Amino acid sequence: MSEILRVEGLHAGYGKVPVLRDVSFHVNEGEVVAILGPNGAGKTTLLKTISGLIHPTAGKILFDGQEIGGWPPHRVTKAGIAHVPEGGRLFPNMSVRENLLMGAYGNRESLRTGVLEEVYEMFPVLRERHRQMARTLSGGEKQMLAIGRGLASRPRFLMLDEPSLGLAPKLVDGIYERLQALRGHGLTVLLVEQNIHYALELADRCYVLENGRIVLEGTGEELARSEHIKKHYLGL
Amino acid sequence: MKIKATTFNRVLLGVVLAIALVIPLLIRTNQYNLVLVTTVLLYGVLATAWNIIGGMAGQLDLAAFAYLGLGAFTSGTLLIRWNVSPWIGMILGGLVATGFAVLVGFPLFRFKVREVWYALTSSALVEVLKVAFVMWEDVGGPVERYLPYYSFSLYHMRFGTYIPYYYIMLAILVIALLVNYRIGRSKLGFYLRALGEDEDAAEILGVDARACKLKALMIYAFIVGATGAVYACMYGFIHPSFFSGARSTEVAILGIVGGMGITYGPLLAAVILVSAREFLRASLGGQMESLYLVIYSVVLILIALFRPQGIAVFFQDAYRKLLSRVTGDEHVLKANTPGI
Repeated sequence: MSEILRVEGLHAGYGKVPVLRDVSFHVNEGEVVAILGPNGAGKTTLLKTISGLIHPTAGKILFDGQEIGGWPPHRVTKAGIAHVPEGGRLFPNMSVRENLLMGAYGNRESLRTGVLEEVYEMFPVLRERHRQMARTLSGGEKQMLAIGRGLASRPRFLMLDEPSLGLAPKLVDGIYERLQALRGHGLTVLLVEQNIHYALELADRCYVLENGRIVLEGTGEELARSEHIKKHYLGL
Repeated sequence: MKIKATTFNRVLLGVVLAIALVIPLLIRTNQYNLVLVTTVLLYGVLATAWNIIGGMAGQLDLAAFAYLGLGAFTSGTLLIRWNVSPWIGMILGGLVATGFAVLVGFPLFRFKVREVWYALTSSALVEVLKVAFVMWEDVGGPVERYLPYYSFSLYHMRFGTYIPYYYIMLAILVIALLVNYRIGRSKLGFYLRALGEDEDAAEILGVDARACKLKALMIYAFIVGATGAVYACMYGFIHPSFFSGARSTEVAILGIVGGMGITYGPLLAAVILVSAREFLRASLGGQMESLYLVIYSVVLILIALFRPQGIAVFFQDAYRKLLSRVTGDEHVLKANTPGI
């Protein structure tokens, strides 16, 4: 399997406050990799740094062998990375369709090849609501729209930040079913999640991030058996 | 009789334009009223242009009269010194304002100066320019510089009556509205709206925030700068007091109160609020100085409390009701149907 993303010795933070300290990991093509960790570990910061919202202070981010650390976000998107941020960050006063179009504009080709239809097929509820303002959607629908908007640029690499955040367990099941289906289509996914049960089940490999450092790595099964995970995350 | 919605829209626009065209002819003997309606149009232009940077891109710009002043000084100086026609001065004034916008906007957007900080910086800009032009004795200085007087010269854009200025301002307003309308429907407009709603989210979807905001600022500055040339001719002089922070803030207020991002919203606000303010000033100013400002502020507060989306929303509702009546189509009453 070829490597699509490699992060080496990454340091980043907000102003003078360091958040990530010497983070290294990689993601192979077609793989689902999860980054787990408690609140404040730096998971969101890691995704923001990859997508260019935060500049790394040291280290390398290689996408497809190309150094993208320090690129502005719009260039990173054009390179084929989509970021579904925490809480969705939809455009509340734009319609569902307009939100999806905003996603599709990141990649001109995708619109011509009917990406909106594909998103509607995946999340039929979005088709029903396509003229509605995004702010009028329910929590689950909002998350679906956020994921759909990320997919609308036909990314090669999708980053999801806490897709289960604030949703009822039943809705989380629904979201993860779709993610499972996406994985079937061969999309490479980097998932950040606190809801560790779901992440361990979906991911091929996981990294555990604590205090800005990677402390553990392994397959979902390996980590589910690890004493550290059992004690601190699963409460067993 | 049932009429099509497009026909209805055209008739409505035609009626509004016709009224705008005859107004000066009806009040042509009263120069004060002519200044008044021209001032309403002036604020209409400024607020409509502001809608691009403020309403769409969501940047709280408080520097309208910085760009206006630059346009006025460029065109005015060219006319006084070298007898250059203000019609050319309009274009050059617009370009100078645009150049200044790039000079300011590039670093501001590069270093992500946003929200209140952008507002403060732009507001400081007006004051800085005012002081600079008071000091710069070759062009500005503390004394008014008068434009040559002609009782009627098209070349010099100088007229003994305000009627021509009214029509020039009306033409600029129509252009500003068209530019607004076209941008609103273009990819740039779409990006600007997204930026206005959530800048980070727009950026990670591939929007070049810097370039888009700079374009919006440049278009806005050009329209305002060009208007500055007419402003100078209309008042007959140029003076550093043109760089007015209070009036710049008023432009932003009109843009916000009218309805952020709605093409005709700022114009509506200008028509209603500026005429109301001037009317109050004329009728109350004699008895109690500044009472009109109190009433004006109370109106603003009431709008902010009860119609934070802007007064355009009132008109949108009324318009929809009217449209559904004449077309017999109930569908237009739904909130999600796009308005004019």
